[in-house]
Amino acid sequence: MIKLVDLHKSFGRQKVLDGLDLDIEDGKTTVIIGRSGGGKSVLLKHMIGLLRPERGQILIDGTDITKLNDQALNEIRKKFGMLFQEAALFDSMTVGENVAFPLREHTRMKEKEIRETVADRLRSVGLTGVEEKMPSELSGGMRKRVGLARAIAMRPQIVLFDEPTTGLDPVMAEAINRLIIDTQKNLNLTCVVISHDVRSIFEIGHRIAMLYEGKIIENGTPEELRASQNPVTLQFLAGSIEGPIRIM
Amino acid sequence: MNRFSGALDRLGRAVLAGVEEMGKIILLFVSVLAWMFRPPFKLHNIFKQMEFVGVKSIFVVVLTGTFTGMVMALQGYHGFRMFSAESLVGGTVALGMTRELGPVLTSLMVTARAGSAMAAELGTMRVTEQIDALYVMAANPVKHLIVPRVIAGVLMVPLLTVVSDFTGILGGYFVGVHILGINSGIFIKNITRLVDLNDIYNGLVKAACFGLILSLIGCYKGFNTYGGAEGVGRATTEAVVLASIAILISDYFLTAIMF
Amino acid sequence: MFSLSSEAKVGLFVLVGLIILGYMSVQVGKQSFGLKKGYTLEVVFDSAAGLDRDASVQIAGVEVGRVESIRLKDGKALVRLRIVPNVKLEKDAIASIKTHGILGDKYVEIYPGTHGEAYLAAGEQISRTERQADIDRLLHQLGLIADDVRGVTSSLNRVLAGQAGEEAITSILTNTKALTRNLNHVIVSNEAALRAALENTRQLTGNLNRVVTRNDEKVGQVIDTLKSASREMEKTFAALSEITGGVNRGEGTLGQLVKDKGTAEKLNQTLASLQEVTQKINEGRGSIGKLVNDDETVRNLNEGLTGLNRYVNKAEQFRTFLSYRGEYLFDKSNAKSYLDLRIQPKEDKFYILGVVSDPNGRRTTKDVTVGGVTTRTEEWDRDGLLFNAQIGKRYKDLVLRGGLLESTGGIGIDYLTLNDKLKLSFEAFGFGRDRRAHLKAGAEYRLFRHLYLSAGWDDFVSDQDNRSIYGGFSIRFEDEDLKYMLTTTPIPK
Ligand SMILES: Nc1ncnc2c1ncn2[C@@H]1O[C@H](COP(=O)(O)OP(=O)(O)OP(=O)(O)O)[C@@H](O)[C@H]1O
Ligand SMILES: [Mg+2]
Repeated sequence: MIKLVDLHKSFGRQKVLDGLDLDIEDGKTTVIIGRSGGGKSVLLKHMIGLLRPERGQILIDGTDITKLNDQALNEIRKKFGMLFQEAALFDSMTVGENVAFPLREHTRMKEKEIRETVADRLRSVGLTGVEEKMPSELSGGMRKRVGLARAIAMRPQIVLFDEPTTGLDPVMAEAINRLIIDTQKNLNLTCVVISHDVRSIFEIGHRIAMLYEGKIIENGTPEELRASQNPVTLQFLAGSIEGPIRIM
Repeated sequence: MNRFSGALDRLGRAVLAGVEEMGKIILLFVSVLAWMFRPPFKLHNIFKQMEFVGVKSIFVVVLTGTFTGMVMALQGYHGFRMFSAESLVGGTVALGMTRELGPVLTSLMVTARAGSAMAAELGTMRVTEQIDALYVMAANPVKHLIVPRVIAGVLMVPLLTVVSDFTGILGGYFVGVHILGINSGIFIKNITRLVDLNDIYNGLVKAACFGLILSLIGCYKGFNTYGGAEGVGRATTEAVVLASIAILISDYFLTAIMF
Repeated sequence: MFSLSSEAKVGLFVLVGLIILGYMSVQVGKQSFGLKKGYTLEVVFDSAAGLDRDASVQIAGVEVGRVESIRLKDGKALVRLRIVPNVKLEKDAIASIKTHGILGDKYVEIYPGTHGEAYLAAGEQISRTERQADIDRLLHQLGLIADDVRGVTSSLNRVLAGQAGEEAITSILTNTKALTRNLNHVIVSNEAALRAALENTRQLTGNLNRVVTRNDEKVGQVIDTLKSASREMEKTFAALSEITGGVNRGEGTLGQLVKDKGTAEKLNQTLASLQEVTQKINEGRGSIGKLVNDDETVRNLNEGLTGLNRYVNKAEQFRTFLSYRGEYLFDKSNAKSYLDLRIQPKEDKFYILGVVSDPNGRRTTKDVTVGGVTTRTEEWDRDGLLFNAQIGKRYKDLVLRGGLLESTGGIGIDYLTLNDKLKLSFEAFGFGRDRRAHLKAGAEYRLFRHLYLSAGWDDFVSDQDNRSIYGGFSIRFEDEDLKYMLTTTPIPK
């Protein structure tokens, strides 16, 4: 259970989170939508303690991580996996080493086991035989999938996905969506997904939260959201230029 | 008056910023020390950095060492000739190389080659969120990224200095004996007469300090990069400039303490 | 193609680095051989400046040990040497601190001593040391010299300081220009005569020199004779000063005589005949010549070397000076200049011959008696020169002189101090009945070898309104300098 209470975060004079409240249920996939630059990635980074809020609480299973020291925070982080928007692969390591990194770091697996696990995770994101390639030799979509493989390598309880399908072809996007749905179901994961892809949102999300001007303005099931009369939600889902969301 | 107080204000801020930066670097050093002795030890990481800092710098260090020795011999010769003391060239080259030029030039070259690379590498990792990824995977970046680099710096710079000292003396020997015609026996005799074991060892201690300084500053600047590719460039430049200055200044104090 | 792992490359590099380091350490460390072996000796030096621990100890340039320690003992440097075992030193060994080249290291050089004495045992002291004329001492000497120079410049500074000094110098310089022009004029008009005189003098001294080197006793006799001759001369001068009163009254007959070109010619002839005489003596002609050229004389030469030396020293005392002195009379805005030849046969005795150019010129008075009333008229001959002819004697710091001063009888007294650098003098002359005597007091300071500065009060009791403060300088050369000057200075036509 992730509970965000009255989060405030600004960068300089720019207020990004402005009294945000959000509950993320266990064993469900929560999709966060919102305009580009609205603060979704920032919100995600707060959940895993990469950013600290100026005000407010971030409760992970009842523990407020804003007050923790590095060591305790690391213990909490071990529950998490995260896919970064730009994948954030270690470009000094091969793909295989990247995926193996959390395993080597936190388990005492044998080299053989590690190799097998890595191959398995890569296969599940639709990649085979790329272990010896360097990240720079991959396409953007492939990199994202390697990032995904790394995020789920440790079989964490909570996985944070920052735009997992952006930049992929529709077939591959669909395959990733299926992967998220399957792993979530199989392992009973708590997933937080950021996405702009309206089709994916309704496919994978148990709950959908709308982030607007630093607050969650809507939070409900896909059905509830579809029925929403909120002009912001309506404009966002319709992809219309007309509405309260202004394009500057 | 206003302008004056404004200038004073800026000066104060600059000094404060400098002091703060130094403090942060020292704190980083403390955490490097703390993480250095915490298992597990990723030896391979350390060897990779040692290869990068040490083995791959050999060529440039040999080159600078040799030519420095050669030019010292040449300059020294013209100076000493005025007193008919050409034979002192060998000792002068050897003393200069072991005490001063070996450690300083080597560390400056390593700063330019490896210190800048450290800043650029860590800076890129910072702006592409790789460092965040480490945090997310509950892996400490200081242990994973900075400790191996600092260890490599501290171990490899002295070793490179040995190479630099040696090739510098060889270069001086070549110029002194084969070009300027100083008697080779006297040349070597003067080296052994003037140079003390302590000159060599103190030079190496200096080099180790410089290795620490350049790797620490390179990592610090890279680690605290912000602002994309431009930020990486800025961090790299700052790392090289700051490390070079720090090396030269600390050289004075180390020399004052040791010799 | 095989590739090495990072570990292998680093390992190889470390290995090579350590081998190089080991090699260099061994090479450098080799030097400290024998420091533990061998025996120690002690030696006390007045100063061990520049000597370091571990400095080389050498015999005949071969290293035989090292300096082990340097300590202070009773205000001297106690140096402990460690000498290699197979080198033995005699009891009378001598140790000294030397330097390699001019800038090199200091080391201890040992002269091992003569055989037959007992060897020095471990812990004993080398009792004999030698001081070295080394750079330190050289620098010390230079320091002393620098102090002297500074003393000179600071006194110069004191003399020249202030506006008055500056003005004085400017006017001195302007006047000097005028004076040298006059001087040139005098010299040019007498050039031929001077040159001939000089040439004769040179030949004369050449011959004299030869005579002196050939003979000892005779020279002694000659010098003795000269001594008595000079005594005679003294008497003559005394008589002369008596006469000068008359000369003074005679108003310029002597002056006329000296100024006459014929005088120079006569002098020239005299010198020529003197030269002839010495030439004859030299060639063994005449009775003196025979005597001088006798074999016995040659024998005497060897025996009497010491005596000769004494006489030569005496001969060296014979000095002549030529000086020019310019004095600027501030109250008269006029300059006075003196050209003096000073002959000094002995350290404490001298004669001065010279001419003075007075801005007022030479004074002549004429008595005209018209109808029983005698009127004395004064006339000044502006181009007229005055003459100096004095005899002087020195008693310690005090010099008394007298004779003809500015063509009138007079006396002078000088007091010398500061190693003869400063001369205070007082002169009184021109005792005429119709006017007060000419009194002059002044000081002269030697700046450099040839240059003097002077200042004082001229004619300070004058009733003719002639009193004036003066300042000036003088240039003084010895005969050697003079010869050089006259033969090399081009004389303007
Ligand atoms: N480290 C930072 N320093 C300064 N400003 C930042 C930082 N990170 C984010 N921001 C600002 O916060 C705002 C929100 O950024 P964020 O990355 O959360 O947007 P987003 O909703 O993820 O957008 P997108 O959908 O394009 O990824 C942006 O305006 C960004 O400029
Ligand atoms: Mg984002």
